[in-house]
Amino acid sequence: MHLLTRIIPIALLLAAWELVARVGWVNPNVFPPVTEIVLRWLVLFIDGRIYGPLWDTLWRALVGLAAAIAVGVPLGLLMGRARWAEWFFAPLFSFGFPLPKIALIPLYVHWFGLFSLSKVMLIFTDCLFPMVLFSYHGARGLSPVYLWSAQSRGTGRVRMLWRVVLPLSLASIYDGVQVAVVVAILVAVVCEMVSGGGGLGELMIRSYRYGDVRTAFAMLVTISLIGYALYKVAQWLRGRLLHWHVAEA
Amino acid sequence: MCYGNGAEEVKALESIDLAIEEHEFVTIVGPSGCGKSTLLYLVGGFLRPTSGSLCLRGRPITGPGPDRGIVFQRYSLFPWLTVRGNIGYGLAEKGMPRAERNRIVDEHVRLVHLQGFENRYPRELSGGMQQRVALAQTLACGPDILLMDEPFGALDAQTRRILQDEVRRIWRRDIKTVLFVTHDVEEAVALGTRIVVLTARPGRVKEVLERDFDVTDGEEFEANPAFSAFKLRIWRSVKEEVEGALG
Amino acid sequence: MKALATAKIIPLLLLLAAWQAASATGLLPKSVLPSFWDVAASLAGMLRSGEIVPHTLASFGRAGAGFFAAVIGGVTLGLLMARIPVIERAVEPILLLIYPVPKPAMIPLFMIWLGIGDFSKIAVIALACLLPVVVATFNGARSVDNLLLWSARARGTPERRLLWRVVLPAALPQIAAGVRTAIAIAIIVLVSSEFISAEKGLGYLIFAYGGVGANDAMLAVVIYLAALGYLLDRCYLAGLRRLMSWHAFAH
Repeated sequence: MHLLTRIIPIALLLAAWELVARVGWVNPNVFPPVTEIVLRWLVLFIDGRIYGPLWDTLWRALVGLAAAIAVGVPLGLLMGRARWAEWFFAPLFSFGFPLPKIALIPLYVHWFGLFSLSKVMLIFTDCLFPMVLFSYHGARGLSPVYLWSAQSRGTGRVRMLWRVVLPLSLASIYDGVQVAVVVAILVAVVCEMVSGGGGLGELMIRSYRYGDVRTAFAMLVTISLIGYALYKVAQWLRGRLLHWHVAEA
Repeated sequence: MCYGNGAEEVKALESIDLAIEEHEFVTIVGPSGCGKSTLLYLVGGFLRPTSGSLCLRGRPITGPGPDRGIVFQRYSLFPWLTVRGNIGYGLAEKGMPRAERNRIVDEHVRLVHLQGFENRYPRELSGGMQQRVALAQTLACGPDILLMDEPFGALDAQTRRILQDEVRRIWRRDIKTVLFVTHDVEEAVALGTRIVVLTARPGRVKEVLERDFDVTDGEEFEANPAFSAFKLRIWRSVKEEVEGALG
Repeated sequence: MKALATAKIIPLLLLLAAWQAASATGLLPKSVLPSFWDVAASLAGMLRSGEIVPHTLASFGRAGAGFFAAVIGGVTLGLLMARIPVIERAVEPILLLIYPVPKPAMIPLFMIWLGIGDFSKIAVIALACLLPVVVATFNGARSVDNLLLWSARARGTPERRLLWRVVLPAALPQIAAGVRTAIAIAIIVLVSSEFISAEKGLGYLIFAYGGVGANDAMLAVVIYLAALGYLLDRCYLAGLRRLMSWHAFAH
């Protein structure tokens, strides 16, 4: 019941769109009817033109994200537990935070070329910040009791980080992952739109440049669906990984 | 074992001079904030005294170690491990082979009567059960000294009584040395063979009393006149401190 | 406090020093990364000649227009959604639909609809900033303590003014947080849109300099942009504190 009431406004909007486009109040080449967009979207899947770019965008985002997690989590945890690490790295990250990393696209292209590497590197850079931030916060908010309990049972300082601090911070770290996943797709697409080199973003810009509005729209839909799907996958995964977690008040 | 002085930045404790014999069950009582837990943490090696020294069997205490096991009131179970995982944690850290580890874990699961729950996660257990696991995981490492920081403070009265009996039973069986901190005078008398009363902050040793009668498991303390008298004696001593602190 | 603030800069200074040293000793070739000094000199030159001013104005003009449109529209919409259930039920699904769409990806579409000029960029920025503002306003307005409302009604405040005099001020902290997010988003979307198509603006400059290999000038503009963004954020927070203190006085 609740779901139905939510669909109504969307359905109305889409219906209005369809009507406006069909009747000719707007140029259908600027504002194609919904049905034609959906059709084009299906065609792209059927004739296979979309799979290459889809895969490109997806794996770039995932590789960049994975690298950001691999580097960001240990760094954030270390910053949370070791004063010297916090002192050294925290200012660097809070300085880098307001910098729109996207502005570095030309620099990264200069360093890493026009294809996948520059995109993966920028995704890595952009996702690093939330990963470090959330890991840092997770590691800082720990009750010392856990650490003492581990210490008195023979855990050394280094082992402590990944044996105790990591699982305890996992909830916060995972919040970071959920933020970073969205960022990863966004950065991948923008890089592709700006510097080309394959992927959904590039296909979208190319369609736009050739005046193929329907495909451009279809790309937009695909990009949104991917972002949404990844977010949902991340949510599902959270339930499996963190099933033992109890949120503390 | 001996303890020297111990004092802290916020002056939690002052000139504590205490000596504890092996196999004693010592309970420490006092008003809130008197530093009882601090004393325990000093013995555990989690805090360092700002002056004075602590030594164990003639050697100074420099940090936490498996010879002093500690049971906290809360948060000592790792939520991502099952009951077995938690109990076996210290053993895994020691590098013990799996077969032997499992044997000791089984033994301790039985010790605290948690058979059937060994594969549950802490979130699925009641407060009382969690504290049983906390006790088991500490004992599994075979410490010489057991430190207990108001372990039953967050539990209801019935569970508390049951667990008190468990601790007493385990102590009698293994005859470890136990240092038990509590704010509950009755608990202190029910468990401790020697009771240390601390003053209000900064905590000093006000007096040390020996319990000269025995307490059996499941006993109805109210019926025993010696118990009531002793408890009253100590309660008055603590009350003095509480009222003194209130000014 | 002051000592702590200055101490925080040290790692940054160390990094800059390391950068300069690496460039000067040749460890870091100029072709890979210009030396810090070169970048600084380039920036100084740009500031002195004033060539960066029209680009700054163009960029922040676009971003500002989009941002303010989003704030005014977003706060209004959020408040209405919070107090009038029909509006909430109509608008919420649409917002949920737009939410997963990466707004920079909508830039080409907006250019198709609104041309390649400023207006399309302003529109995208406005849309991107709209969401955090609406959500923050909505949440803030929803969580207004009922007691506040009842006491205001009891004192004879008419329904219409309730929104303005009670709900809005009470929701202000959350709105402020949403607006702060919107500032950051505005800058990101601005730069993205200027990369894709522009002939004026800071994003355009970065892209153009990068394209011809003038890396020192490019980095100069990047740093300039970052500094402006940082300053904007700081000014926003300071202004907010001022506003809050007046607010406290007024009551």
